[in-house]
Amino acid sequence: MRRQSPRKPEPRANAASLAGSPRLSRRELFARSGSLLYGTALASILSRELFPTDPLLASGGESYDLRPRTPHFDPKAKAVIHLFMNGGPSQVDLFDPKPLLQKYAGTVPNRDLTSDITSPTQSGGLLPSPYSFSRHGQSGMELSELLPHLATHVDDVALIRSMYGAHFNHEPAIFFMQTGRTVATRPSVGAWVAYGLGTENQNLPAYVVLDDPKGLPVNGIANWQSAWLPPVFQGTRFRAEGPPVLNLDPRPEWPGSLVKAQRSLLQDLDRAHRRERPHEPYLEGRIASYELAARMQLEASDALDLSRETEQTREMYGLNREETASYGRRCLMARRLVERGVRFVQLYIESQIWDAHSDLDKMLRYSCAKTDLPVAGLLTDLKQRGLLDSTLVVWGGEFGRLPLSQTQASGIAGRDHGPSGFSVWMAGGGIKGGTTYGATDEFGHKAVEDRVSVHDFHATILHQLGMNFRDLAYERHGLHERLTDQFPARVVSEILA
Amino acid sequence: MMFQMTGNRFVFPAALLAAVLLSASGSASAQSDLPTFKADVLPILAENCLMCHGQEPRQGGLDLQSAAALLKGGESGPAIVAGSPDRSLIMEKLVSGQMPPGEARLSPEAIDRIRRWIERGAPRETGLAADGEGASHSGLPAVTEKDVLPIFQVRCVACHGKRRQEAGLDLRTRASRLKGGRSGPAVVPGNPDRSPIIRKIESGAMPPVEMQLANSVRPPTAVELQLLRRWIAAGAPPDPPVAAANASNGGPAVTEEDRRFWSFRPPVRPPVPEVRASRLVRTPVDAFLLARLEAKGLSFSPPASRLQLLRRAYLDLVGMPPSAAEVNAYLQDERSDAYERMIERLLSSSHYGERWGRYWLDLAGYSDSEGFGAHDRFRPYAWRYRDYVIRSFNRDKPYSQFLMEQIAGDELADYRKENVTPELVDRLAATGFLRTTPDPTDAPERGFIAERMNIIADEIEVLTSAVMGLTVKCARCHDHKYDPISQRDYYRLSAILQTSYDPYEWLPPTKRRIPLGLEQEKAEVAAHNRPLKDEIRSLEKGLLQEAAPFVDTLLEERLADLPEALRRELRALAHTPQDYEDGELSRKFLVARELDQDESSEVRRYLAGKFKKTLQIGLADLNRRFPGFGPKTESLRKQLDEVKGKLRQEPYVRALMDTGGRPSTTFLLKRGNHLSPGDAVTPGVPAVLTNGVIPYRVDPLKHGQDSSGRRLALARWLTQPGHPLTSRVLVNQVWLRHFGRGLVPSPSNFGRSGEPPTHPRLLDWLATEFVSGGWSIKALHRIMMTSTAYRQTSRIGPEALKLDPENVLLSRMRRGRMDAEALYDSILKATGRLDPTPFGPADPLETRPNKEVVAKGSRVGFRRSIYTQQRRYDPVSLLEAYDMPRMTPNCVERKNSTVATQVLHMMNGTTVWEHSRYMAGRIIDRVGYDPKRQIDQAYLQALSREPTEWELERSRSALEEFADHWTSRLRHDRDPTPVHWAAQWRALSSLCHTLLNSAEFSFVD
Repeated sequence: MRRQSPRKPEPRANAASLAGSPRLSRRELFARSGSLLYGTALASILSRELFPTDPLLASGGESYDLRPRTPHFDPKAKAVIHLFMNGGPSQVDLFDPKPLLQKYAGTVPNRDLTSDITSPTQSGGLLPSPYSFSRHGQSGMELSELLPHLATHVDDVALIRSMYGAHFNHEPAIFFMQTGRTVATRPSVGAWVAYGLGTENQNLPAYVVLDDPKGLPVNGIANWQSAWLPPVFQGTRFRAEGPPVLNLDPRPEWPGSLVKAQRSLLQDLDRAHRRERPHEPYLEGRIASYELAARMQLEASDALDLSRETEQTREMYGLNREETASYGRRCLMARRLVERGVRFVQLYIESQIWDAHSDLDKMLRYSCAKTDLPVAGLLTDLKQRGLLDSTLVVWGGEFGRLPLSQTQASGIAGRDHGPSGFSVWMAGGGIKGGTTYGATDEFGHKAVEDRVSVHDFHATILHQLGMNFRDLAYERHGLHERLTDQFPARVVSEILA
Repeated sequence: MMFQMTGNRFVFPAALLAAVLLSASGSASAQSDLPTFKADVLPILAENCLMCHGQEPRQGGLDLQSAAALLKGGESGPAIVAGSPDRSLIMEKLVSGQMPPGEARLSPEAIDRIRRWIERGAPRETGLAADGEGASHSGLPAVTEKDVLPIFQVRCVACHGKRRQEAGLDLRTRASRLKGGRSGPAVVPGNPDRSPIIRKIESGAMPPVEMQLANSVRPPTAVELQLLRRWIAAGAPPDPPVAAANASNGGPAVTEEDRRFWSFRPPVRPPVPEVRASRLVRTPVDAFLLARLEAKGLSFSPPASRLQLLRRAYLDLVGMPPSAAEVNAYLQDERSDAYERMIERLLSSSHYGERWGRYWLDLAGYSDSEGFGAHDRFRPYAWRYRDYVIRSFNRDKPYSQFLMEQIAGDELADYRKENVTPELVDRLAATGFLRTTPDPTDAPERGFIAERMNIIADEIEVLTSAVMGLTVKCARCHDHKYDPISQRDYYRLSAILQTSYDPYEWLPPTKRRIPLGLEQEKAEVAAHNRPLKDEIRSLEKGLLQEAAPFVDTLLEERLADLPEALRRELRALAHTPQDYEDGELSRKFLVARELDQDESSEVRRYLAGKFKKTLQIGLADLNRRFPGFGPKTESLRKQLDEVKGKLRQEPYVRALMDTGGRPSTTFLLKRGNHLSPGDAVTPGVPAVLTNGVIPYRVDPLKHGQDSSGRRLALARWLTQPGHPLTSRVLVNQVWLRHFGRGLVPSPSNFGRSGEPPTHPRLLDWLATEFVSGGWSIKALHRIMMTSTAYRQTSRIGPEALKLDPENVLLSRMRRGRMDAEALYDSILKATGRLDPTPFGPADPLETRPNKEVVAKGSRVGFRRSIYTQQRRYDPVSLLEAYDMPRMTPNCVERKNSTVATQVLHMMNGTTVWEHSRYMAGRIIDRVGYDPKRQIDQAYLQALSREPTEWELERSRSALEEFADHWTSRLRHDRDPTPVHWAAQWRALSSLCHTLLNSAEFSFVD
């Protein structure tokens, strides 16, 4: 298998010289690095440890790893936090004011609109948004009253009002947003990023998923799959409570001293085994991975340990309020992970809270109350720490909603899925703040101006990370597979700083 | 309007022409009130656009001089989508002002005119009404059967086709449309307005709104409707006789040079080369390899030790290490052919098929789940295919027959007329090969034609990548860029599957099964279910009793507003006793029954229908109305679900069947879009593969079964002895599994973009030997494993490191990590937890409180990984960590990763620790408490060897240390077990656990 790109890792500085001594044994190295456990120096040392320079490895093997790789060009962002709002947030109630809906309220829509209706028996006339919109920040970006906290950040945000999708159902539409196709058989964007760039911290996964403790999203774990990309690139679920990674901690019934003694025996046995088998990089890698596992145990627990945060920070993310605590915790975890060099963090939201088929007002108020403050807190915090410049924050769902009313059994109107036009936003990581890009038609139904496809959206994310979507390829069955496949795509340069 | 065309000589004539046409066709246009291209659109374009999009060279390759040219479009795709201005690029460009470039803008009226023209389906020259009887003299191409057939197939045949004929109507053929259904002919030739089919479509009656989703169909587009009209207006003509014959799409012709590519020529058996070190030649494999090594000044490495070879052979052939007893027996066998005998033993072991069958399941993309939806729907009958594969490998079924059964098992004989025998079940289960890919179409909203086409595409990918070593996926939308495989070739392959995967009359996965089982199996199921059904009946009775007062209250509430007389009638209806099928209470307590003629009056039957909704009260209704109802009946409902979950389903075979009858027509789909049909194609295989082989030919089945024979023809074509790919691809797969790298390093790509073989002559020798030896896979193992090459050490010498660093020449054996299944199974065998029971339904999985997914054990232990559920979403954690592939749709070559999360599973996971405790317990049972004997035994079981002296010492001191740690912990715990005894056991458990975690355990060599 030929790796198409990005380029092979550059030889990095010698591990020993990083630690300040020309001839350190591995054991010494580990002993020393213990004191700087979370430093980047350690991360790079460990990556060298796991994958030592070796003529065989240099000749290109069939093993894949997460070593940091040089992007195609200088990246604006080093990491991505993807706030995936599965369910389909309603653009005309949040981001895309359409006063004309008021004028034509209740009227039967035009033909284009009816072609998007999937439940004709429940469909009513045009439904104006019950919320008022106003302008914010220097840019004067218009947002709904439901997003008062995001409103304080509009000058860091580029709002795209002209996204369009391909499918009216959650499963395929979510696959589309994750993988660029509506089918279950392709790698997700996070896996592509991990494949392209590796990660800065070998003690943590490259691609971390923080799903809602209330349950998996539609499509379950297939959302963060690597499909035919090697499994090492798939998303790793970090749980928000308890040990973040499966089997991270030694079994509770084991005496601590036993764990140490066992590790020492294992090390001795493996060393003897390896002495007999020189020049075997995979064997080396495998043995080193045991040493790494022990460190990951410390680092992953630490990364998610929010007790180290100040009261002020906890307040900022809404950790002290019931409605915001859950999402706030995960937003804060996302920051801590990115801070530690994780490449791609993806947050999901509890089951379909944006999916307001009925009772629009109640559902939207609930969803916004849960997320608006924590998301704003995340932006504030990243900015205060100087991380926003190098972190691309992406907010959006798999589609929007129709400007029509939908009436189900409950009798209180909502809106059905609308894949033809919806809003997403990006912030940080080289995004031009205060930008409003693209437009839907006068009813907020279809994207008509400066339309942005899902492939454009993906191309833009890759671009901010320093990768060209045409060149990030994986050879499979003789095809150069890409995130954007063979579809036309372009970087939405209008929203870039 | 802008007029920047000064000096552009092309514009004037065009504008003039337009003006002339405008006046000429003005009246026709006014009559029909339909905008036309020449009258309404061309003048605008001529004035504003043709200076750049007229004659060559055209900007963006876009020609705007005719309606057809707009439809064709330029570099950015079609300029218009007939019927949909919103999807038309030209509208986007005009509305946004991107075009024309510069300051100029089209007037809103002009834009609106173009919009209306597109909306009406972008008619070309004249309106429809003018089209009337004489399509030919309006200048339009005549519409014939071949133009409208795709519309009927895509929009209508789901209900008016082969399987279903609603209202007695079949719309598949011209004749059947003219004949019509119960309400007369569907088509009145020459008169679209009087043709019921047009009337029904235009009024929106067909396809019925409420049926569209349930049948996953959409109404015809405006363009399609116009085509239908024109076809009828022209007298509903059949295909012109030439059209059927002239079915070529003009794909690139295959050249002689294309056919000369190495993998497209039949393999020719080369002579075995002479080598200097002839004493090293045990099988011809060695001669081919040595010839290359010697040319580089290299030779084979020294042989591996006997024990190393033993373990290597075991892991290779059965996927588990030898037991202590097997090690001893082998070491004591001093016969000169002890090694060969050991290979034979392994080849005849029933575990062999479990190992090599797994490889085949990778190629097939086997999974026990559908891979969609929140629950990743389980496939309860997939295991029969898995068992078929294992049995076939164990019996060394000739590969040709193996393929034949998997591709066309249902067509080999008429299964409907045969007695049910294990052989028949096997042969039908074999067709599970092309039933593996993810399939969401059980849900109607995921069952539209586009999704069905994806499933067919996936099956083609499985077939071509696994069996033919070819990538044809890209030819779904365009001709292959590297290989001489045209889009037409792709749809010819697709046509082979059309008679079993008909995209127009689709069968969702749950309908693709044959109710077939051995008598004994049926009896077992019945015996198993009988007591459960009794239990369900009594539970349901209880539930009904609990619900009765609530149901009555709710019913009265619903009836409250009706007149008393009606109420009485309905009450009586609602309480008509119901006969429930065994265990089939549908959760509707009250249902308006279908009342029979003789038992009730017409009035009652009418009421039952009219008030059906009122009379239906289900659990959901009660839950909604009475907050207390749910909690009150919760335990009862839980019990009911639990018992129902224990029911075993009637035996079925999950199979691929030809659906018989007249097949629908396969069209080449332009850009892969099912709404852009091109020419019709007939079933066939890639044209480039016709070198020296018998061409693909479909013959009627001899036994007279109603089956197209298309897949049988494919199987025959693939398994002819001289086929250029079949034998090479399989031989390469076997080589890959033994030597860690294929002779063709890209096993799924033998095409021009793949990697050429490292040893082409060896590959061809093996391929021809394989075929002439009767397609025996076990014979291939013998040739490969008894070679000197296979018996080399894996240790790298200095020469080899310099001259053959990547081991392309096989100057040593490869050392590699076990794959997920070998690791899992080896742990079971080494620890004594293996339950060797083969076959049958997959073992369920469970999620431990720590979220680790593990297999549920049997009474004896745990079965091999191949018998656990192979789920796409939540697979066994340990297997997943070690790179067990997620089938998307299949896996031709696995990738290995080395990451810390693997360690976490091995070190801290439940599975390995539990098995280690078991292993330690059995060792103590066997050898007692003597540390040396314990350590010896642990090494033998885990590593198939005795410890070295140093290892013994180190392990002994570790055991003592472990025991100390455990002693202090256990004292502290105040456990009633004797501390010394328990600490010894746990210390040994920790030692076993360490050995299972050692690098040596999880690596081969």
